[in-house]
Parts: sequence; structure tokens; C-alpha cells
Amino acid sequence: MSLDTDFMVKVAYTAIHGVPVTLKIVLVALLISLPIGVLFALIRIYRIKVLEQFVKFYVSLIRGTPIIAQILIVYSAFPSLLNTIIGKAAFDINPIYYAYIVFTLNSIATLTEVFRSALQTVDKGQMEAGLMVGMKPRQTFWRIIFPQALISALPNIANATLYLIKNSSLAFIMSVKDITAIAKTEAAFNYNFLEAYLVVWVYYLIICYCAEVIFYLLERYFSKYRRPTKKTTGFNWLPFSIKQPEIEAKTDLTESERTNHAQN
Amino acid sequence: MENIKLIVNFLGQLLPAINITLIVSLSSIILGSLLGLLLAAARLSQSVILRVLAGIYVSVIRATPSIIMIFLVYYGMPLLFNGWFHTNIDGWNRMYFVIIALTLLFSAPVSEIMRSAYESISKGQMEAGLLVGMSPFQTFYRIILPQAFVVALPNFANSVVNLLKEGALTFTIGVVDMVSKAQMIVANNSGGYAWQTYCALALIYWVISLAIDKGVSLVEKSYQKKRKTIAV
Amino acid sequence: MLKIEGLKKSYAGNDILKGISINVNKGDVISIIGPSGSGKTTLLRTITTLEEANGGHISFAGVDNDFQKLNGKDIHTIRRNIGFVFQNYNLFNNKTALQNITEGLIVARKVKKSEAEKIALKALERVGLTDRQNHYPSQLSGGQQQRVGIARAIALNPQVIFFDEPTSALDPELVGEVLKVMQDLANSGTTMVVVTHQMNFARDVSNRVIFMADGYIVEQGSPKKIFENPSEERTKTFLTDILANV
Repeated sequence: MSLDTDFMVKVAYTAIHGVPVTLKIVLVALLISLPIGVLFALIRIYRIKVLEQFVKFYVSLIRGTPIIAQILIVYSAFPSLLNTIIGKAAFDINPIYYAYIVFTLNSIATLTEVFRSALQTVDKGQMEAGLMVGMKPRQTFWRIIFPQALISALPNIANATLYLIKNSSLAFIMSVKDITAIAKTEAAFNYNFLEAYLVVWVYYLIICYCAEVIFYLLERYFSKYRRPTKKTTGFNWLPFSIKQPEIEAKTDLTESERTNHAQN
Repeated sequence: MENIKLIVNFLGQLLPAINITLIVSLSSIILGSLLGLLLAAARLSQSVILRVLAGIYVSVIRATPSIIMIFLVYYGMPLLFNGWFHTNIDGWNRMYFVIIALTLLFSAPVSEIMRSAYESISKGQMEAGLLVGMSPFQTFYRIILPQAFVVALPNFANSVVNLLKEGALTFTIGVVDMVSKAQMIVANNSGGYAWQTYCALALIYWVISLAIDKGVSLVEKSYQKKRKTIAV
Repeated sequence: MLKIEGLKKSYAGNDILKGISINVNKGDVISIIGPSGSGKTTLLRTITTLEEANGGHISFAGVDNDFQKLNGKDIHTIRRNIGFVFQNYNLFNNKTALQNITEGLIVARKVKKSEAEKIALKALERVGLTDRQNHYPSQLSGGQQQRVGIARAIALNPQVIFFDEPTSALDPELVGEVLKVMQDLANSGTTMVVVTHQMNFARDVSNRVIFMADGYIVEQGSPKKIFENPSEERTKTFLTDILANV
């Protein structure tokens, strides 16, 4: 058994052009789905009529179906849908837009759940304290509750990002020229699939580890208020300590917040 | 209305292929849990080497896209077998490759779930068991395991649903499962009724996922009941 | 100054407060004592509308209305004029000690930042924590957190400060520092309503003691009267029990 290393180097060079494509998909999907995820989580927490049912349905549907099915549906439904709106031009759209749509729709569902549980970990006493120093519920939410929730959500946002990065490797099914697609095309000439995918694998490992380190640093930076003392902890080399962030709904801030909203 | 009729019709055509999905999922769940158990044991062991190796394995899997894992196993294993054991496994049923890939993928999160469930049961429980005269194995089997099971169950179910969804990639190496059946139907209709076909596909997966969730919450409830009755 | 009449609160079919009337005058230091579950904490929380009342009337800070008819503006006025010290401190976890105090001043009272910091530092000085101004709550002991909680309340210069079992969550050795701060406040003429299990505080610092049980005010009066010569049997039993355990 031997690997064609020359070919691997060649693939490494060509497939690197797919890296920005993958990153673009991940970033666009994240940036759009983060605020929507927060919004959806709030809809669930404040139990807003009708909308709540919709969000529940949406999250369950997306989480209960394979991403490949979502890709196939969007990729088959949207072009003809757009066709009826903007005419023939719909078929000339860069497929990466379909990737944006699928992965955004998918991340919204994940992040809704992430923010929902994160918001529930913030003690309802925080809201009460805010009200008692004269702040409005909305002010207290944005200045006190949300920043805390965001930080406790970071490990789960990291998980969602990793999930997104990995899923984006399926964009090639929509003929997006990402890392996988480029490597696949290269390999098709000589049937060097193993070599090509090994290269792709390494790229994904690098991207995922970079994302983990970024989130680790973010967490470290933003959770300064959580560290009881100022002792310096050594760098916690991530690959050896995969966190399973525990989701622990401490108190239900729903009840009191809702009544307060009703009153104000 | 027309669309609903179509979807129901496609459901009927897709469902026969569900056995592939079930076989692949069930085999991977069983094998993956066993491998996960070994990994968890390695991560909890005294040996630094075992702990580090298992740690690296878990973190690498965490960063590996499922599709890449499937491709690597599919293209890599025959080469490995050829090189090391001089056996030709090209003729294997392609399903085996998917099962192996999914087993490798599934074992990592499962090992983490098992480990954290085990760690969540306090040391005091083991000590208490030993103190009342049970052997370490008896204590583990009768005291620790049932408690860890309850802790691990929701996360385990979550991983099973993920596995089920990853299994939908089986088609990428040419196994005729529901996804590939759906693609064939679309091709036979010259690309027509595509989204209705894929909706039928999604629907099947959704129902299975919902069933798993429901089953887990039922089991959880029955456990909670048991706990209460014991407490009273 | 603060007048409550016939305050009622029920929760899930249980009557927690069965018509409470209280009159707080300027400079009063009132201790509310009673067995747990008697509705003391709920009383403070319903007056500040952290919980909705089911009946009763409030006249305070220009608001003169039934609890159930309070509008947003009334609620804001009430909360603005009552400082609240929580049992679990409830300091803003993502803010430093100083920011915990300035937050309400800047955001709710629209005080300038520099001005707010001056007020906050003065408040921290009163509770003896100037050197901890840049610490986050997680870096403070329970006693220190509660002192910041008190500083946060006094900085807003409310007409009255409610203390909801301020020392109950503290380790015994930390209770003293908080009680001392409260005593200083009382001596400086701050109007205070304190729900407490600290009988020494009730007896030595307050000018009026209210004994509550089962959602009623059983009796009230000077500490001397309540502690030495209670007229109700329930008060007697409660005090004998609790003093026996000290």
C-alpha cells in the first residue's frame, strides 16, 4: 500500500482555493442565524402565541431531518420557486447562495436551542435586581441577562459552529466549489480518491481546531467575571479536553419576566 | 392538495428502502456503543498513554465531517487490508463500510457521554456499596450503572438521532438507501416533483427522530416514577 | 410615608398574605419576624410588585392606588423609591462591584457616569469596600457581596430600603459584617424594613417589630414589648422556640 504523495501535494495546493468558500458559508450562516436564533429563543421563552408553535415546529423539523434531505429540498425547490419570481435568471444564481440558505436555516434551529437553554441558566434574581434599581425589563435584559447568557452559550455556540463547518462539507452536492468538491474533481482523473480525501480531512481538522481555539480564547476573555480568583491557569490544550457543556436549566425566568412585561 | 397526494405516493415508494437505514443505524449503534465503552474506559484508566490516545481520538473525530469519514473508510480500508493482510475486501457489501465509518463517528460522542455520566455519579456511591459488603463489580452493576444510565439517556438519544441523520449519507458510496431511492425517483421523473419527493424523504426521518425522542421521554418518566415510589 | 392596606396574595390556590396592613414612617427601622412560610418575603415582594398582589391598597411616593390598578408608571415610581437587598444578593454577575452600583444610576436615573462613580464610591465607602470596587461578584465573599448589595440600594437614595433576609444565605462568620453595616445605616436615620431571623438585630436595632404567621400580622409593637411581654400566645411560642435554639 502506498500513497501518491506528489498528488496529495498537488491536491493540497488546488483545494486550498476551496477554503475561503467553506469559511464564507460558515460565516454567512453564523452571522445570519445568531440574531435569528436569539429572536427564536426569546419567542420560546416568552411563549409568544402562534409564533411559539411555529418555532417549536421549525426546530423539531430541522433537527429531526438529515441535512442532506434539507439540501436536496432547498436545491430542488428554490430554483423553480425563484424562477416564478425573477424568471430565467434564477438558474444562473451562484449555487453558493443555496448553500447559504440551507446552512443558515439549519443553524437557526441549533442556535435557537442553544440560546434558549443559555437564557434559562441566568438566575431570575438578576432580572429582579435590575428592576429594583429602576431599570426597565428591556434594559435589564440587554445589559444584564443577555451578556451573561451569551457567555454561558459560548461552548454550545462553538459546538454549533463545528457542526456547521463539518456539514458545510456537503455543499459539493449543490455544486458549490468548496474544498471537498475541488478534491473530488482532482481525484476523478486518476482515481486517487483516498489521497484527495486525506488532504480534505486535514483541512477540516485545521479549520475545526482553529475554530475551537478561537472560541476557547473568546470564552477565556469574556468570562473574566466568572473566575473566582486571579490565578493564572495554564493553557488548557483543547484536543485533550473536549467539553460537553452541561445544559442546566436552573430557574425558569419566564414566569416573572412575563408578568413584569405585562405590568410595564 | 395535489402535493400532499404526491408526497404520500412517494412515501410508499421510499419506505421499502428503510430497512437499509435501520440495519446501518442499529449495527452502528451497537458497535459504536461497544467501542465507546472501551474509549470511556481508556479515558478513565490509570494509564496516561491510554487517556491521551483516547482523548486525541475523540477530538479528531469531533473535527471530522461524516462524509469525509465515510469516504476515507470506503477508499482507505481496502488499501489497508491489501497492504497489511493481503486480503481483498473490494467485494464487501458497501454497507459494511458505512457501518464502520458510523461506528467510528458514533463511538466518540458516546464515550464522552458515558464518561461524564459515570463521573456524575459520586464516588460516595461506590464507597457506600463497598461498605455494605458488595464487591466492586456488584456495586458498579447494581448501583452505579442504573444511575449513570438515567443521566446518560437524553444525550445518548441525541447522539442516536445524529447518527440516524449521518446515516443518510450512505448513498454517497452507492448503497441504495432511501436517499438514493429518492434521487432515482426524481431522475425517473426527469427531475420533476423533486421537492415533493425529498419532502417525503425528510418526513420519514422526522417521524423516526420524533419516535426516538418520545421513547426516551417515556423511559425517563418511568424512571422518575420509580424513583418517587421508592422515595415514598 | 409608606402605607399598605389589606394586601392579599395567593399562589396556586394558597393564600399567602391574608390582608396585611402596614404603616412605615420616615426613620422607622422595622423588623419582620415569624416562622418560615409565614409570608414575610412575599410581603416585601408584593409591595415592590416583583410579585403581583391579588388585592390591597398602597399609598407611597405620590402613588395612591389599589395594587391591581397600578399602571407602569406607578410601578416604576414605587420601585424607584424602594431599595431592595436580596437574600441571595443578586449582584449583576457580569459587572464589577462599582458597576453594580453605577448601573442603576446611569441607566435608570440618567446620572452622568463620572457623577455616578462618585456616588458609588461613597456608597462603597459606607459599607467599607472601597478596595473591592473592581472585583466581580464571583471574586467576593458572601458577606462582601451582600455589602455591595446594600451599597447598591443606598446609592439610589430611596425613601425606604427593604431587606429580604439579608443574612440567611451567609456563612455564620460572615453575618456580623453585614449586620454591622445595617446597624450603621439604621443609626444614620435610614428608613428600613427588614425581614430577618436575627433576633438580636430585631431586638437591639429596630424601633418596631412585626410578628407574622400564616399570612397575618399577629402582633406588632416595640421590641421591648414583643420580646419581653408579647400579648399573643403564638408570638410567645415562636420566640421561646427560636431563642432556645440560639
